Amino acid sequence: MGGKSVILSFLIAIPFMGALAVLLPVRPLFRRWFFWAVSLTHALIVTFFWALRPAPEWQGYLVLDPLGLILLSVISLLFLAVSFFMIGYFQYEQRGNRIFTACLLALLSMMTLVSVSYHMGLLWVAIETTTLFSAPLIAFHRDWKSLEATWKYLLVCSVGIALALMGTFFLAIAAHDTHTLLLPAILSAAPSLSVNWLKLSVIFLFVGYGCKMGLAPMHSWKPEAYGQATGMVVVLMAGGLTQCSFLALMRVSQICYKTGLSDFYASILIVTGILSLVVPAVLLLSEKNIKRSFAFSSVEHMGILVLGLGLGGLGIFGALFHMVNNALAKVVMFLTAGSIAQKYGSSRVEDVRGIIHTYPMTGIFLIVSLFAGTGMFPFATFHSELLILNASIISKHYLLAGSFVLCLAVIFIGMARIVLAFVYGQPTEPVLAKKENFFMNTTIVVAAVVLLGVGLWMPVSLNRALHEAVTLIGAS
Amino acid sequence: MMSLIDVCCILAVFLALTVLATHRIVGMIKLFALQSFFLSLVPLFLHAEALSGRDLMLSLVTMVLKAALVPAILFWTIRHISMRSEIKPILGFGASILCGAALIAVAFWISLSLRLPGKLTSSLVLPCSLATMLLGFMTMVTRTRAMTQVLGYMVIENGIFLFALSLFDAMPLLIEMGILLDIFVAVFIMAIVLNHINEEFERTRGSAVSRPKWGESQ
Repeated sequence: MGGKSVILSFLIAIPFMGALAVLLPVRPLFRRWFFWAVSLTHALIVTFFWALRPAPEWQGYLVLDPLGLILLSVISLLFLAVSFFMIGYFQYEQRGNRIFTACLLALLSMMTLVSVSYHMGLLWVAIETTTLFSAPLIAFHRDWKSLEATWKYLLVCSVGIALALMGTFFLAIAAHDTHTLLLPAILSAAPSLSVNWLKLSVIFLFVGYGCKMGLAPMHSWKPEAYGQATGMVVVLMAGGLTQCSFLALMRVSQICYKTGLSDFYASILIVTGILSLVVPAVLLLSEKNIKRSFAFSSVEHMGILVLGLGLGGLGIFGALFHMVNNALAKVVMFLTAGSIAQKYGSSRVEDVRGIIHTYPMTGIFLIVSLFAGTGMFPFATFHSELLILNASIISKHYLLAGSFVLCLAVIFIGMARIVLAFVYGQPTEPVLAKKENFFMNTTIVVAAVVLLGVGLWMPVSLNRALHEAVTLIGAS
Repeated sequence: MMSLIDVCCILAVFLALTVLATHRIVGMIKLFALQSFFLSLVPLFLHAEALSGRDLMLSLVTMVLKAALVPAILFWTIRHISMRSEIKPILGFGASILCGAALIAVAFWISLSLRLPGKLTSSLVLPCSLATMLLGFMTMVTRTRAMTQVLGYMVIENGIFLFALSLFDAMPLLIEMGILLDIFVAVFIMAIVLNHINEEFERTRGSAVSRPKWGESQ
């Protein structure tokens, strides 16, 4: 091939330059459209990758493999949705959007880097940087509660990610003879890796990235952060950031497969996965805040992802498919929750009731979010959850399958309780009586329709990419 | 030259223990700066026969970031938020030292069963880095102030840094720099958030706005 390819570096650089550009004193309206334009450019380039995969860059540090491609597309889609939604959202917001937009663009840049980095050290750097850029986004409202949530998020995730760094170093010891942490080098040297160090490394990496992902014992930051951040930020965190950490867990899975540690890793994944289903099921039943209950739903979905990865085979396919669906469902759920929080100035059940009478569209969206978020039939989340359930039955984990279904049922009851309380009943007066917004509603509708569409008919290219990705992790 | 690395390692553990036992925040920051300074010397002793530009670079950047800039930011923060000492440490002086000593013993005991492959620079690197990490965790857990938690986090990072030095060749310099920069920015952002928390605290002081207790939010 002639000339060195620079498209991946370019894709990382554009949003970062954009982040610097919006720091200039320009009109807030310009920033909103600029953010949308950058996201659109990003999305167009990523669409192009589906036809033609870019060549490795930077001596193999940046590579786009099928796993990365799926995550990158999800991220690109999320940013496109959020940037379009934001055009409408900021029409009613008094606060300036300078730092906010800059952080969003920097986040896009770093999340792109996560999905294309092929070096375990670089992966760590990118994921840690996403934590740092997302912290100012949570503190957007700058009141007590959001600052407290930001602090909790920063501290818990920083310590968690420090453990992942330790795990990365243990991996470097295990792969001492390769003298590098590039993924292909580790994979090809797999038989010569030191098993004890590798086991230690796997545990540390799992705890570290699992903390960032918000898996059950390490989920304490999640309800706080998701409860306080604006809906748009939560979409990017629940659909993008957490799944970036899931990519790291899948990279670990690749290494474990090659070294024959699959069973060891799978047992960790399954135990944590089921715990991440039980905990939200219990806590959801007494929750009174819509954003917090959606945050528990996010813990649940992370549990489903990890469970699928642990079960192997069909489960991995289900988990990868669920990554796409989870992101789309999160767009519908948290953008709706965000628009309610803006309209009523609260997301607690005492302040918001009878949405269907005041804002019929938003009320319907909330019901759609309930079905999309809990994996009900017409939506694609149903299919991916069914695939994972199927995988657990095929691998003869009957008890697991039973508790999986039981937890999903309890979570549905918990979610339905709070959503129905919001939608029906004696309408409460919105703080700021406003009309429905075109940009905001369009985004939610499109996301819901795509989620429905993927559930009914999966595109051939998506199916192929999912299968390619599954073979990377090792199942047939 | 081997022994100089050992000296640095032992000093790192000793200073981590002192941080754990200190109750004045200014003192803790100074101790942390001193610890970072000693750690930044370690790369210089790694390749005893020939000092490479890479070692020098790493040592210099660490010294500037961890021993100078991070403490400067922390000092700036406490000047702004007027807090000087831990009001209610969960563990007193004696108990902290005892627990710390136990943790050091645990770290050495764990590292007995772990064998580092390849030529090892110093037999103390692994146990000392583990001990520093554990002491950092202990500092984070037993203190209630946000500022002391940041310091605990930094001590943990120092422990990890010490460990990273023992496998120098697996990480390219660029990544190593990225890690250092990330940690620096993390502290920077934490300082800003702390400052905002303090402003909010001053603003709502005496007013009817109810402040949530730590850890409880709706």
